Amino acid sequence: MKPLSILVIDDEAVICRACKLILAEQGFTVDSHMSGIAGLNAISQNRYDIVLLDLKLPDMDGLDVMKLVKKEKPDTRVIVMTGYSTIAIAVAAMKFGAADYLSKPFTDDELITVVEKARKK
Amino acid sequence: MMAVGLSPAAKYEGYFQVFRDIIRSIHSSTSVQEVLEMMVTKSTDVLNARGALLRIHNKKNNKFEVRAACGLGERYLAKGSVTTEKLIPEPDYLHKVLIITDIWNAPRVEYPQQAWDEGIRMMLDVPLAIEDRLIGLIRIYLEEQREFSDDELDFLLTVAEQCACIIERVQLHENQQDHFTHLATRMDKMSSLGRMAAGIAHEINNPLAGILLYSSNMSKKVPQGGQLEEGLQIIIKETQRCKTIIQGLLDFARDKEPQRAPANINAIVEKALSILENEFHLRHIRVERQLDKDMIPAPLDENQIEQVLINLLLNAALAVGDRGTVTVRSRKHPDRNNISVEVVDNGCGIDKDNIKKIFEPFFSTKTNGTGLGLAVSYGIIKNHQGKIRVTSAPGKGTRFLIELPLKAGKPIHATGTGCL
Repeated sequence: MKPLSILVIDDEAVICRACKLILAEQGFTVDSHMSGIAGLNAISQNRYDIVLLDLKLPDMDGLDVMKLVKKEKPDTRVIVMTGYSTIAIAVAAMKFGAADYLSKPFTDDELITVVEKARKK
Repeated sequence: MMAVGLSPAAKYEGYFQVFRDIIRSIHSSTSVQEVLEMMVTKSTDVLNARGALLRIHNKKNNKFEVRAACGLGERYLAKGSVTTEKLIPEPDYLHKVLIITDIWNAPRVEYPQQAWDEGIRMMLDVPLAIEDRLIGLIRIYLEEQREFSDDELDFLLTVAEQCACIIERVQLHENQQDHFTHLATRMDKMSSLGRMAAGIAHEINNPLAGILLYSSNMSKKVPQGGQLEEGLQIIIKETQRCKTIIQGLLDFARDKEPQRAPANINAIVEKALSILENEFHLRHIRVERQLDKDMIPAPLDENQIEQVLINLLLNAALAVGDRGTVTVRSRKHPDRNNISVEVVDNGCGIDKDNIKKIFEPFFSTKTNGTGLGLAVSYGIIKNHQGKIRVTSAPGKGTRFLIELPLKAGKPIHATGTGCL
């Protein structure tokens, strides 16, 4: 089976690196980008099964990024990440087609569980 | 006998002027202090006295405190306020001027030596009374003894009565103003807190995410059961604790509109109690239910009200320590269009100083408290257009009373953030 391909979009380098480390250990191929535009470019040029998307990005609103992703590549599953400790915004994201959400901070196990769940969807 | 050189007519003219000045001050002056100052100077002038001292009853400490003075030496004034016992006169003196001629032997004169040294030979105590309440007292000091006609004393009393009314009115006004200022400051504090909270949450949750991801990942790679693993587990636990604190702060700051549906408060009470059953059992705390058997449904956000009750019950559990009693009481008041629920404990109680602050965010007496439990509860009840009140007696116990309306009105936001 082809390994799952994941893209992380977060403007925090530490989070990108941590997610890459943890998900690579699970056998997934992982890329990361630190802005909405860079992320969208990567998505248009490559095929990702799952996108881990922070809702607060320096250049774009995370929700807008997600809408574009769903429009261009409807099969891509998007997992939103939020630092606002609120499920309201995550619920809004789910309405626009997000597969799941992660509320920062989260553990490695939480990350893996959410990714595995999204993969099966 | 009248003051030297003044005809009776001139004298009454003087009294009339004082009277008029004081009445005018009702309309022009807005501060109690101005009225009081005028009263002492005018009464000193008109009676050709040495000076006057005005004391007002302070309800907070039940003492008569000097609030205005004129014509007296520092040495005499430094003697300070006088307690209630010394000043409360017999009932018939409430509307009578008391004349003290023998200052050495009058029980009402606390410092005869100082008074004598100041050259004072006679005193008049004019009560400031409203109906049967003594709100203050003007003591007028004279350098020589003389007689006062009934008309003169009557005049003094009339002026005093008017003064008492003004003082009461202005004081009331000032108290209200204080109350509003306090409320306004509080609201301001809350809304800026709300704005800050959302910012803090995002800024802190990001670095916490880095810490939690690496520590949880590393904890699986180090020898299990060793010091490294233990240390990493602590980092994981403490990071998650930070998350909970921020969550609490956001819950408090956010305008979380209650999702109301008709619910029975008794059912919510039972649910909250079942969650805390173990906690109570372990501490041998007795729970007494006094729930209204015919409780009627009220529009409540069950989750939010449950959160409030859990908060209050946990506080009660902490207050009673081991083997205390916590009583939960519910009542319906269709006549007042509300229901009430009370959480009463027989625990340690809350200090007078602390009770004013307990609903303020970040105020806590617990070593590990975030100071958000009661602040969040307060916000929730306000958003339900309800009321939450606390009464407490240190050493005896505490009672929280919540009133919730039977009809849902337009939501009022306890905090004005609008963030998320």
